[in-house]
Amino acid sequence: MTRILLAAGVAALAITSPAAAGPHGGGHGNGGRHAAAQNHGGGGGHGQKAQKARGGGQHARQAKAQKARGGGQHARQAKAQASRGGGQHARQAQARERGHAKQVRQAQARQNRGAEKRSMQAQRARANDRAKNIRTAERVRANRQNEIRSELVRRNQMLGRNNTPVLAVRERAAELRGRQFRQLAEARNRELARVQRANIVRARDWEDLARGGIWMDGCPPGLAKKPVACIPPGQANKLLGQRLRSVGDRIAFRDLPNRLQYVYADTPDYYYRYGNGYVYRVNRSNDLISSLLPLFGLGYTAGQVFPSSYPYYGMPAAYQPFYPTSPYANYRYADGYMYQINPYTGMIEDVDPLLGYGYGYGQMMPLTYSAYNVPYQYRPYYYDTSDSYYRYAPGAIYQVDPSTSLITAVAALLSPNSLAIGQPMPIGYSAYNVPYAYRSTYYDTPNDWYRYSNGNIYRVDPATQLVTALVVSALT
Amino acid sequence: MLKTLPLCVCAAALAVAGCGKAGSDNGAAPQQSSQAKDAAGDKTIADSIDHNGKFFAAAKSVGLDATLAGPGPYTVLVPSDEAFDKSESAELKNAADPKNRAQITRILTYHILPGVILSDDISKAIENGQGKAVLATMGGETLTATKDGGNIVLTGGDGSKATVAKADIKASNGVIHDIDAVLMPPKAGPGSEQQQPPGK
Repeated sequence: MTRILLAAGVAALAITSPAAAGPHGGGHGNGGRHAAAQNHGGGGGHGQKAQKARGGGQHARQAKAQKARGGGQHARQAKAQASRGGGQHARQAQARERGHAKQVRQAQARQNRGAEKRSMQAQRARANDRAKNIRTAERVRANRQNEIRSELVRRNQMLGRNNTPVLAVRERAAELRGRQFRQLAEARNRELARVQRANIVRARDWEDLARGGIWMDGCPPGLAKKPVACIPPGQANKLLGQRLRSVGDRIAFRDLPNRLQYVYADTPDYYYRYGNGYVYRVNRSNDLISSLLPLFGLGYTAGQVFPSSYPYYGMPAAYQPFYPTSPYANYRYADGYMYQINPYTGMIEDVDPLLGYGYGYGQMMPLTYSAYNVPYQYRPYYYDTSDSYYRYAPGAIYQVDPSTSLITAVAALLSPNSLAIGQPMPIGYSAYNVPYAYRSTYYDTPNDWYRYSNGNIYRVDPATQLVTALVVSALT
Repeated sequence: MLKTLPLCVCAAALAVAGCGKAGSDNGAAPQQSSQAKDAAGDKTIADSIDHNGKFFAAAKSVGLDATLAGPGPYTVLVPSDEAFDKSESAELKNAADPKNRAQITRILTYHILPGVILSDDISKAIENGQGKAVLATMGGETLTATKDGGNIVLTGGDGSKATVAKADIKASNGVIHDIDAVLMPPKAGPGSEQQQPPGK
C-alpha cells in the first residue's frame, strides 16, 4: 500500500513538474506577474507570443489538473457549505483559491531560481569550451605558419646554393661601379693638387714681395704693425690641407706657448704647432694641417686670463666711446686689438680687431651697434638708408657703410658733458651759445639763462647754476 | 569735491603761470626767422672754411668734414695755415697718415664747441667770470678764454695760446672764429687715464 502511495506521489510530481520546470512556466493566470518573473529570472530570449502559447497550454493543463484534484474537493466543500449557507461558502472558496494560487506562485519562483542557476552554469561551460577551441585553433595556425616559414627558408637556401651565376653578375656590376668611383676620386685629387700648387705659387709670390723689401718687415703695409700675426688670413687659409713638412720651410713652427698648451692640448687624433701668429692643428694620421686658429694681438684669446702686464686702458680716443669701462666689463687695447675682460675673473670674454690704429673713421663699426640708436632730436637728419646707416656712440653719431660696416664719416659730434634737468650746469657753459634762430626768443636775463646742448635748449637758474628746464628742441 | 576743487584751482594756476613763463621767453614760436637766416647765411661751416686750407684737410682726413656740413650748430675755432706750420704736433704735420687719426681727431674736436658762441658772448662770459671764462669743447675737455686788450685770447690745456684774429664768421649751422695758433688739449686725455682692473 505504501509503495502504491509513493508511486502515486511520484506520478503526481511527474505530471506537475513539466509545468513548473519550464523557465517560462505560467499557469497561475497572472500574466503581469508572469512577465515580471520572466524578466527577473533572466531567462529571456523568448517572445511573449511563444510564452503565451506555451503558458496557455500549461494553464489549460493546470486548470485540468486543478479541476481533477480540486474539482471533487470543491464539489464536496460546496455540498458541506451548502448546508451552512451559500454566501459563506462562496467566501471560503475564494479564500482557498487565493491560498492555492499563492502556493503555486511560491513553488514557481523556487523553480525559476533553480532554472536560472542551471542556465548560468551551462553558459559558463559553453564559454570555457569556446575559449579552449580558440586556443587550440591558434596553436594550429601558429604551427602551420612555422611550417610555411620553414618551407620558405628551405626553398631560399636551395635557391641560394643553386643561384651562383646571378651573384657573379652582381659582383661584376659592383666592381664596375667601384672602378668608376675610383676614377672620379683620382680626377678630384688631381684637381685638388693643381689648386694647391697654384696656391703655393701665389704664396711664393707673396714671399718674394716680402723678401724684395717692397713690404715692411715682410708684411703688407696694412699688417706691418701686427708682428705677431703678419700672414694675411687669406694666405694663411691656403695652408689648410697641406702637409706640415711641406710648409715648414716657410713658417718657423715651434711648440705652443705655455699659456696656450692647456687650451690646445694634443689628442690621439691631432697635435698642435704654433707659428706666425697662428695655431695649426695637424692630423696625426696624414700629417695634414686640418685647421688654423689665429691668435689675436697679444696671442691671447677668449677664455684666457688677460696678462697683468697690461694694466692700462690704452684705448685710442676715437674708440673709447665704443668700449667704455663699466662695472660689468673692462677693456684693454693692445697691438691693434680690443680685449673685453671680465672685471671679476680677469678672463678675456671677447677680442675685436681694431686694425691697428683704432680710430672710428675708416674702421669697422663694432657689431654691438647693430640697432638704430640715434637720439630723437637727430633722427630727422640721420636715418638709415640703403647707402649708409647711422649709429650713435657717446660723443658722436657715426655714418656707416652698410656693405662693409666701415665708418665712413663722423656725422655729428655730441657733447660728452651734456646738460641735464635738475643737475648743475657743467663746467664750460658760462658763455651764451643758443643758435641764431632762437636768440630772439631765449636770451639771458638776470633770472634765467639759456644754454644749448646736443640739440636742446635748457633754462638755467643763474643763482643756483642748476638746469631747471628743457625749453625747446632746437633741431626738430 | 571740496578737496579736489582747490587742487584743480592750483593746477589751473600753474598752467597759467607756465604760460606766463613761456611768455617771458618772448612767446614767439621757435622758428628760424628771416633775420636769423640773413645773419647766418646759406653756407655751412664746411662751405665757409677754405677747402684748400690745412684745417679742412685735417678735418677731412678724420671724417669730420661731414660733421661741419651737418645741422650742428657748432662754434669752430679755425687755426690759420701758418698756425699749422708753427705747430709742434707731428701728427698735424702728417695728417694724411692713418696712424695719426686718433690724435688729429682729439686736436680738432678741441677746436669745436657746442652751439653758437659769438665773440660778444665770450666777452660777456669773461666779464661774468671776473676775467676768465671756461669753454667746453666737443672733445670733452675745456679751454680758457681771457681778454688781452680788446682781443680774446684762448688758452689750451697744455698752455698753448691763440688769439681770435677774425671773429663771428657766421654760417647756417654755426659760427667760425679764425685763430692764430693751434690749441692743444691736455697731455693726458681722459681716455688714457690709468684704469687698474679689479684684483690686479
